[in-house]
Amino acid sequence: MRQGVLIEHALRRSWRRQRQAVLLASLGLLLAVIVGALVYLSQAALDATTGRQLEILIAERNELEQLNESLRSEIASLRSVPRLRRRAEEMGFRQANTEDIDYVVVDQYDPRRTAVAPQIYAQQATPAADYDETLAGWIQQQLDAFNRQPDAAEGE
Amino acid sequence: MRQNLPDDTLRQRLPIVIAGLLLVSVLLMLRLVSFQFQLDPAVTGYLESVRASGYQRTLRQAAVRGNIYDRDLQAMAVNSLEYRVGISPNLISQPRETAIRLAGIMGLDELDTFNRITSEVPWVLLSAGVSADQGRQVAELDLLGVTIEARPRRYYPQGSMAAQVVGFVGGDLQGYYGVEGFYDVQLAGREQEQMLSNIPFDVPEDHDEDRGSDIVLTIDREIQYLAESELESSVALTNAARGNILVMDPRSGEMLAMASWPTFDPNAWYEVRDDTLLQNAAINGLFEPGSLMQVLTLAVALERGAYRMEDTYLDRGYIEAGGVQVQNWDRKAHGVVDLTTVLVETLNVGAATISMQMGPAAFYSGLREFGIGEPTGIDLQGELPGILFVPGDEDYNDSLLLTNSFGQGVAVTPLQILTAFSAIANDGLMMQPHVFRRLLDGDEVRASSPSTLGRPISAATARQVTEMMVTATREGMGGRAGLPGYTVAGTAGTAQVPTTLGYEAGTSIVSFIGFLPADDPRVIVFIRLDHPNEYWGAAAAAPVFQRLAQRLVIMMNIPPDDVRRDLVAAGGAVEAIQH
Repeated sequence: MRQGVLIEHALRRSWRRQRQAVLLASLGLLLAVIVGALVYLSQAALDATTGRQLEILIAERNELEQLNESLRSEIASLRSVPRLRRRAEEMGFRQANTEDIDYVVVDQYDPRRTAVAPQIYAQQATPAADYDETLAGWIQQQLDAFNRQPDAAEGE
Repeated sequence: MRQNLPDDTLRQRLPIVIAGLLLVSVLLMLRLVSFQFQLDPAVTGYLESVRASGYQRTLRQAAVRGNIYDRDLQAMAVNSLEYRVGISPNLISQPRETAIRLAGIMGLDELDTFNRITSEVPWVLLSAGVSADQGRQVAELDLLGVTIEARPRRYYPQGSMAAQVVGFVGGDLQGYYGVEGFYDVQLAGREQEQMLSNIPFDVPEDHDEDRGSDIVLTIDREIQYLAESELESSVALTNAARGNILVMDPRSGEMLAMASWPTFDPNAWYEVRDDTLLQNAAINGLFEPGSLMQVLTLAVALERGAYRMEDTYLDRGYIEAGGVQVQNWDRKAHGVVDLTTVLVETLNVGAATISMQMGPAAFYSGLREFGIGEPTGIDLQGELPGILFVPGDEDYNDSLLLTNSFGQGVAVTPLQILTAFSAIANDGLMMQPHVFRRLLDGDEVRASSPSTLGRPISAATARQVTEMMVTATREGMGGRAGLPGYTVAGTAGTAQVPTTLGYEAGTSIVSFIGFLPADDPRVIVFIRLDHPNEYWGAAAAAPVFQRLAQRLVIMMNIPPDDVRRDLVAAGGAVEAIQH
């Protein structure tokens, strides 16, 4: 009888441990799901916010472009010939007549002479490293970037 | 026992029902799973459209239309915005103040605005054509119940200037007439399709702006303004009904100005009642060229070898053929006359004698080579070919050989006759007239290159005809077309106005074509006035050319002949002082 009680007790303790383990595992899983959901919701909310901001910026850009177009048309109106003529007359200008113009002939002036442009000595640019878009190339690029880091730190 | 019977039946039938339900569920699940795999494309398309209709919509947007510029990149047609301002009367708490403020900004009648604001309608339009500046001011008021809707609009900052060259854009955003019509495809660009999503997580698509190409014209707006001002004042001065002035560079065929009167404002094209005003009279306004045609007759005769410069004929004052008698304008006989005198005195009998001598085959083939009776092919919408009946045509008769030689019984457009004369100015080479100079498509620039329409006469013949035209200008028009310091080659035309019963008495269509400097032409000008109070072209049209040429030589930096020769002698070139 005593032995039977002990066995039953041992079995109950074992079940309790198992239940605790199952409970803990379930709790962990639940927490993981909650954390995952929170991360997902947070990321989705961030996406939505960024999308909205982007939408606002695009709308703002479009509005500014339209405003620029309007300003361009306004400038074109202000530069119309009748307005410019009227303004020039207000400022005291008048139309030139043929007798107001003196043409000066410059001896031996050849407008179509060959022009010699000054030579420009460009600095020798360091050629960019080739990147062959393979895994080895990518690893090489990372190594090169890593090797350049100490130099940059020294420069600072 | 009786009570156990339903339990037994239930026990027996329940598995069948469960199995049936399970089977249906499995079938439904299999069907659902099957949607994830290949389906009939029609079904896939339908399902996608059902899905998209709930979450997405497609917005079709016209691309931003390209601008039009003159040769110096001054805007002739641009895009702008106008606003449509409306109001919801129920939402307005202070109608009186709102009416005063809105009417003040938009230039509306205060009482009318107040009446609209207090009307018993859910929404009322206050103004449809509010400018961008006014629209901004209304938006800044931030009034509840006021709606502002921006709408794209084509705007022509130069107003009516070159309206018939530029054309206009209609309410359907399509270009009509002129450059807007001819280059509509290039200016309009491609229609854009934008997918708009209702799902907030979808990042909106940002398209690079797709816009039509910009077009740079050969038109010089300052020369255009000069031509239009001169035409308007000449029409007023001579009491003419209509008129045209065309200015062209004969060496390239570039049109520098195409002025027509009357014209219209492309910003208000919808107010035009007479549709002919929308069309370019320079390319579809047919007229009988009158004495202008004598020059072409002489050129063809010299080119074909039917006559030489020193040849003469006996002018009896009339000539008969095909049942008609042709007389000189003064109804006099001029005796022995040389070819230059035919032009100086504009003798119809002389021109008719020459065409008779040549014969119809040589005469008409020569005119065809000058492009008479055929469209020039200018890059503007709505060009007409003119009318020239040749042997073999149903409407041809023998008398036309005589009358066509001095510009009767033949109809041309201003551009057609100008193009024909440009061949004389350009050593016999006839250039393709055009208004397109460059196309700007993003970073790409496509420039036009001059092309030829042919060589109707040789350089030697062109120089001979030019010489005769110089003499005609110097001696034939009483100095009305000359310009001190410059050699001008020109000729005037006077044509009767044809009606269905013959010709209208006492009125005419006068014209003048001239180019300068005669030995190295930089510019060729055509002038036409319909029904002026002066009957003769030399009296009505030649002075217009003179006034115009005085301004043109300054604007185009064309030095007087002596300066030009000194310049060339000194090893320079005229081009050195041109912009």
